[in-house]
Amino acid sequence: MTVAVAASLEHVDVGGFERIRPVDLAVASGSSAALRTQVEQGAAFSVFLSADLEQPRLLVEAGLGEPPVVPFAHNRLALVVPAHNPGRITGPADLGRAGVRIVAAAEGVPVTGYVRLLLSALSRLPGYPPGFETAYLENVVSREDSVAAVLAKVALGEADAGLVYATDARRSRNVAEIVIPADANPLTTMGAVVIAQAGDRSDARAFLAWLIGPGGRAELGRQGFLLP
Amino acid sequence: MTVRPASRRHAWPVALAWGLGLLLALPVLALAGRAVLGGALASSVTSPAVLDALVLSLLTTACSLLLAAAIGLPLALVLARRRFRGAWLLETAVDLPIVLPPSVAGLALLLVLGRRGILGGPLEALGVEIPFSTAAVVIAQTFVAAPFLIRAARAGFVAVSRDLEDAARVDGARERDVLMAVTLPLAAPALAAGLVMAWARALGEFGATIMFAGSLAGRTRTLPLLVYGEFQAGDLDASIAAAAVLVLAAAGVLVAVRVLRWGRALEVGAT
Repeated sequence: MTVAVAASLEHVDVGGFERIRPVDLAVASGSSAALRTQVEQGAAFSVFLSADLEQPRLLVEAGLGEPPVVPFAHNRLALVVPAHNPGRITGPADLGRAGVRIVAAAEGVPVTGYVRLLLSALSRLPGYPPGFETAYLENVVSREDSVAAVLAKVALGEADAGLVYATDARRSRNVAEIVIPADANPLTTMGAVVIAQAGDRSDARAFLAWLIGPGGRAELGRQGFLLP
Repeated sequence: MTVRPASRRHAWPVALAWGLGLLLALPVLALAGRAVLGGALASSVTSPAVLDALVLSLLTTACSLLLAAAIGLPLALVLARRRFRGAWLLETAVDLPIVLPPSVAGLALLLVLGRRGILGGPLEALGVEIPFSTAAVVIAQTFVAAPFLIRAARAGFVAVSRDLEDAARVDGARERDVLMAVTLPLAAPALAAGLVMAWARALGEFGATIMFAGSLAGRTRTLPLLVYGEFQAGDLDASIAAAAVLVLAAAGVLVAVRVLRWGRALEVGAT
């Protein structure tokens, strides 16, 4: 059975499920939007764990996902800079400073929607100049295909800053995290869905049950995800 | 060994060849078919994203080709004309990007021209920033495409008869005139084929570009990056439209190379 997971879930250990049910699990990871496209093109996934609720919802709408979409974890955004902080970023307001090189994810990648929420929340806070969002967008030097690629470019030191998920920031050794005001930081919701054309749907449903049960929650918690 | 006359040969090997060939061509045919029949090509080929990528691809590959010629032609001429110690080593180094996976090329370029690279650090101190710029795209394309031009040009120069060049010298031609009037014109078909192959390689460049130059519409997002980017973002139609443009370009290149060969064959036949 193959489970398709968003790049931010790549390091979640699903071995716990294999211990309670005699199933061989394979994990395919990538950008949630790309995984959704792969399901639409007939990829043989049984379960899809997305970084948002939107991609699984689209699958259900198209008759390719078996309702309901199950929220199983939350995440927050994190502002990361290379360990030596070449852009001298001290807070999110610096993302609007001219000349700062930001690497971001592309349109359509779930994190981009959350980043938009963050920017609009930040721009309403004191200390953020008018036009902050536009200034941020003008500083974007590259649109990467996934959060993993954003993190890699920051860790390499090629970018001054990037916005990724809190769980990614925690895992990377070559980046430092800059604090984001908590009340501006959107809570992301990750949704899972059983793929309708999967041949082993009872296994797939059992996997979802494990994911939101004590075993899955313990593992997700260990990786730094927030739980519903 | 006897050769059967053509009339008695079986037809099935040709049919088999067609069958196998079509099997290999099926993915591309499916893509082209889907692009045209599914309406993706018509609806997306004029979209700003595809047009931006197309213009950028044409612009950067033109620059890459000029750069590859400026570096490659003198190099190919020396490699073809002079035997020297370590020539094989130089040739191997020049050919290396042909066999390297593009991701390796991207990483290698980052180590040299990245912000913390050997040359990138000093350059940044001078205010020159290469990564994430259109210049980075051109550098990545040149790096992977130049070897194709160098190989073809070297073979072309080697094939030019030294006697003809010597005859021109005896007639009092200076070295520059020999090069312009004898060597380059005689090697022209090989150079043209090399340029076309190098251009095709530059147009298709993906791995090194996405690692070294990033992906930003109008600045670094060339057609192959758009194909991947739109796929990753879940927009299959836009991805297919950009891919179809690349298929057209690739097919055009192969036809162009054939026409060049025919032209050459005709010339040889006439003389």
